[in-house]
Amino acid sequence: MHVHELNPKRTIITMIIFVVVIVVGLFTLTSPRLKYKISPVEAVTTLADDNLGVDASNIDNMLSGSTTPTILIDIRNNYDYARGHIPSAENISAVELLSVDNIKRLNELKNSNISVVIYGDTPIQANGPWLVLQQLGFSNIKYLLGGYEYYLRFKEAAKDDHCVPAFENGNAEYNYAEIAKANSGGSIESSATSEKKHTIVRRKKKGAATAGGC
Amino acid sequence: MNKNYLFLAGLMIVLAAGLLVLPERENYVQIAPEDLMWDAVQQTKFFNVDQVAGMIINNDPTLMLVDVRGQKDFNEFSLKNSINIPLDSLLSPNYEDYLGIEDMNVVFYANDNIKADRAWVIGRRMGYHNLYIMEGGLNSWINCIIKPQKPDEAQPSSAFAQYEFRKGASIYFTGAELKTADKKNSVKVVKRKKGSAVAGGC
Repeated sequence: MHVHELNPKRTIITMIIFVVVIVVGLFTLTSPRLKYKISPVEAVTTLADDNLGVDASNIDNMLSGSTTPTILIDIRNNYDYARGHIPSAENISAVELLSVDNIKRLNELKNSNISVVIYGDTPIQANGPWLVLQQLGFSNIKYLLGGYEYYLRFKEAAKDDHCVPAFENGNAEYNYAEIAKANSGGSIESSATSEKKHTIVRRKKKGAATAGGC
Repeated sequence: MNKNYLFLAGLMIVLAAGLLVLPERENYVQIAPEDLMWDAVQQTKFFNVDQVAGMIINNDPTLMLVDVRGQKDFNEFSLKNSINIPLDSLLSPNYEDYLGIEDMNVVFYANDNIKADRAWVIGRRMGYHNLYIMEGGLNSWINCIIKPQKPDEAQPSSAFAQYEFRKGASIYFTGAELKTADKKNSVKVVKRKKGSAVAGGC
């Protein structure tokens, strides 16, 4: 005689517990807080777009709200931020951007179609964090081309109306092949470049035994 | 047989069938976004051009230089022993084997930092270790290695040592002075022959 035959409901109860454990396990087992929204392959294809950064000349326009509403986030540390930052930028360091509260905030911004521009001192400082956020699905986040250093130079140059210095835009500054090809060597001061002629020293031959003498 | 057993067995089979609809497991281990962000802001992901030049000159067996520019740029100029993986085909199966080699330091470079950094972030996300970026890219390579600037007199001696290294590296990579090196002036001295035993002398 089996145990459950004494109490037919026992099987039902066992089954329910069994199913509940499996279902709970399925939903909680590997559920990290943050998940990549796009696959690496998709991430690579989005990078083909040239329009991923925001130029310093557009910053004032964007902030004044003539286009889409925009907020600026300074991803440097507190000290750098305190020493100087773009007006109206707020300070959230790159690592803090992924904290629970900030992710919530970024999601809200994304849902209300507000674009976010992040910047660091140099473009490279913002590029990595930007690409991480991009892969988390925050397509409304862009980065400031040239970073804060370039922004300062741009402001300086805009005052004098001089030409604005270049920033890191992926272009080659030189024709590498031309400069680095063999025998160019323009930069290295090398001595003895002109070829000297062989010098042959000829001595007078003595003619005969009686020829010489003092 | 008890009806309950049949029911239980049927339920097990249904649950097992659920495994079929689970998403296919990727064959790489992605690192968590938090870790990726932490790694992305560290300075340790950079090798400067002097380090890269030193490794090339010393034929460092653990160095693998990866040019992430387009194929056309790569054909025009590339660093010695580098391979070309354009950024847009970084994840194509053809190149998969290059990135995951144990104990190899993969150093990405492009014209400047940006493209190399993007390749780095994607590669790091895929869980590859030992990925680096040549800081400043080829623009820095030309500025520092191929056309080194002589330091001021007031600079510390280490700056001069670095300059000497760069000058040497520049010669190594461009072959600049090789032309003049084997062009020594040879002076032919013709010695006077003695005519006979009684020929000369006072």
